[in-house]
Amino acid sequence: MTLGAPLGLLALAAIPALIAAYFLRRRQPPRTVSALFLWRTPDQRAEAGPRLNRFSRESSLALEILAVLFATLFLTDVRCGQAASRQHVVIVVDGSLSMNARVEGTTAAERVKTEIARIARDENAGVLTLIETGVKPTLLAGPQQERDRALSALEKWSPSQPAHDLSPALTLARELSGSSEHRIYFLTDGPIAEAVAVPPQLEGRSVGKQASNLAFLSAQRRDEDGRAQVTVRVGNFSDVPVTAEVRFTAADDAPQKQDVKLQPSATAVLRVGFKTQQPITVTLPDDALVEDGHLTLLPSPLADVTVSLLEGVDPAAQQALRRFLSVAPGVKLAPEALLTFGPPKSTAHVQLGATAPLKSFVGPFFAQKGNPLLDDVQLGGVVWTAGVNPPGRVLMSAGAVVLMSEEDDGTLHVNLDVSRSNVQRTVAWPVLLSNVVRQSRLATPGFPRKHLMLGEETPLVTTAGSTWELIAPDGQTRPVMGSGVLSLPPLPASGQWKLEKDGEPFDALVVLPLDPRESDLRTRGAWEVVPAQPQAFASFATARPLPWWPLLVVLMLVLLDFWLTAAPRRKEASS
Amino acid sequence: MSVRLDHGIVERAAAGCALRLPRGPHRGRLGEVRASSVGSSLELHDFRQYQPGDDLRQIDWNAVARTGELYLRVRQDEVSPRVEVLVDGSASLAISPEKAARVREVAAWVCALARRGGLDPVVIATGSTVRKAGGPSIRAMLEALEFDGREPFDAALRRAPPLRPCGLRVVVSDFLFESPPEPFAERLARGASGLSLVQVLDAEDLDPSGGAGARLTDSESGEVLERILTPHVVDQYLERLKAHVSLWQGAARRVHASWSQASAEFQLDALARKELHELVEVA
Repeated sequence: MTLGAPLGLLALAAIPALIAAYFLRRRQPPRTVSALFLWRTPDQRAEAGPRLNRFSRESSLALEILAVLFATLFLTDVRCGQAASRQHVVIVVDGSLSMNARVEGTTAAERVKTEIARIARDENAGVLTLIETGVKPTLLAGPQQERDRALSALEKWSPSQPAHDLSPALTLARELSGSSEHRIYFLTDGPIAEAVAVPPQLEGRSVGKQASNLAFLSAQRRDEDGRAQVTVRVGNFSDVPVTAEVRFTAADDAPQKQDVKLQPSATAVLRVGFKTQQPITVTLPDDALVEDGHLTLLPSPLADVTVSLLEGVDPAAQQALRRFLSVAPGVKLAPEALLTFGPPKSTAHVQLGATAPLKSFVGPFFAQKGNPLLDDVQLGGVVWTAGVNPPGRVLMSAGAVVLMSEEDDGTLHVNLDVSRSNVQRTVAWPVLLSNVVRQSRLATPGFPRKHLMLGEETPLVTTAGSTWELIAPDGQTRPVMGSGVLSLPPLPASGQWKLEKDGEPFDALVVLPLDPRESDLRTRGAWEVVPAQPQAFASFATARPLPWWPLLVVLMLVLLDFWLTAAPRRKEASS
Repeated sequence: MSVRLDHGIVERAAAGCALRLPRGPHRGRLGEVRASSVGSSLELHDFRQYQPGDDLRQIDWNAVARTGELYLRVRQDEVSPRVEVLVDGSASLAISPEKAARVREVAAWVCALARRGGLDPVVIATGSTVRKAGGPSIRAMLEALEFDGREPFDAALRRAPPLRPCGLRVVVSDFLFESPPEPFAERLARGASGLSLVQVLDAEDLDPSGGAGARLTDSESGEVLERILTPHVVDQYLERLKAHVSLWQGAARRVHASWSQASAEFQLDALARKELHELVEVA
């Protein structure tokens, strides 16, 4: 017999309390009354005489004590026989992409599944907790799931994480093991970095094998005027020179292929062009890790930004703006536009102009570093004539004068008198306006980027009032919380993710299974760590199902108690 | 519980008063009240022809002179009505010394009033044994009265000798028993020329103290009930007591009986002036 929760024995403290309450009830001060019938409520009128009361109360006390005892058995999770030997084993598995590397006919992930089944059998594990490491650790099964169910859940496991820190998963495993004195098992495909602090309870083993691998390291696609430009970087993760054929395929254009010859650890960049607006597939010959040699690149045309100029803009400024807008890619003038330029104190998104008194500056200019609106804006040799300080958060200033500011609602103030400045004739002007257009484009609903690397955070723009959902490559649906410009955590699986708005397809992106650290299989191989202190491998299972029979006995005792205490009343009532 | 009966208190309370008698004619011993039967009082009741054996002193000679017939004056009888004082000897009357004393005093006071009116009282007390006393033995009987009855008053009274008809009955009890009031009241009123019900209650009966748990024991049956005497529970008790008393008052009205309620916390002379004034008329 074992006790899963010894603290449940505290429930025994109820017995003295029960007995005390019983005697306290018996010791209430006596009082003789003229007419007891006036004190009874209608349901008490049939109460029995003292002889029968005494009998039922003592039996009731005995039954109540028995009920407390059995409730204690339930709370302490008492287990007898086979149930007592149920063991709980916590196993952590490496969820990185390299676990899919197939060497000598099997992948590391498949060997992990076999190894977990063996551990569960050898350790007589009744319940398992399986944790996958990753950017965020994930519970594959558990906590404390029945062994068969846990192994069944493991069959569906497909590791696809980028290189990541193992510590969060190991910390979670320590917490779920139920005690800091029990060992935790860790299965991976290679030595873990020395920087990782290995907990003393950890028993680790690698099931990975060393292999050569040819992989894409990065991929880009640019669509302009119906033409797609694809750029990929290929890396050779082997110790010998390799020549490989890279295939590029589009649904509505002729496939292309390029041969690449790579020295050990070398990389090469390949570029091809297609006249297509369909997805393009790029493949390398199959090798140990197939995933990093197959890419699908979605069309990623530059989204058009509509611009309008409100009345009241200074003619010189208007001319400078029109000169930029006429050559800027993906920009269209329209009456109702996403981006509006106007004079100060108008409703425009960008308010350009200066209010007297004016003052000219040649520097120094102080700009807020890191603000995307000021990326690459060089103001050397610029004469900037500004007026009264505009409201909002200061982006750029000269002395005590604010040259650019931004309000909380996104309104941008450019305190610039174009007719008395030379900014519009310098390279800073198109760069500044390009940044403004780019930021406006980023506020367009959907995925600003169509291709992400594994482990990258996912930028997303949504609007309020609609239901937005992400559809994973395996078809699972995840709701998107919040609205506006969002940054979602890294998407957990590689492949194509779709965005639906109110149930209708809206946009899509591809998470590319690319991570050079995962593609380099030369570092994989045997590794083992033994726990610093010899400890029990498993803890006793404390998870459900709890034995239900003590509760059943408690219920029966309570019913019997009720029957005993109610019987005298019934007898009196019938008489 | 035996408490000496203070006759000084009783006599002071009865001083200058007499028992209020019913208006209707009575039957009973020769006395000062006109009876329903014919008798020898001065009040003329009827005339009838002489029959042999009639008292010649009652012949109305004026009628004889006018009619030549022998006419006899039939006069209303003058009776002294019987007064039966029925005292409840059940244990509930002795839950406090005050309550027991007041019951004895009220019974003795009624007897004193009756004597002052020239009536001859008889006391019938229930209890474990039923006792009956009249005349000078009433005092000793009331002093020795043990409130030891374990059965309701109506049941105990069945063991008493039959009540005499045409008498005035005064019942002294707390009337706190579960028997239906109306049948018992009818039984008490049956054959009586007048009925008075005097309910004597203890202060704890009228306003029980609450606020704590108590093991309530019935003074007669010994039944036990454990209750926390919260204000709500006490209020419920008072509501039930009020309803119970109302039932008895209704039953008393139906049998043309008077109803008086006396609290044992007050002295007898105070009760005689206030709560029990319906029994009294100034002599």
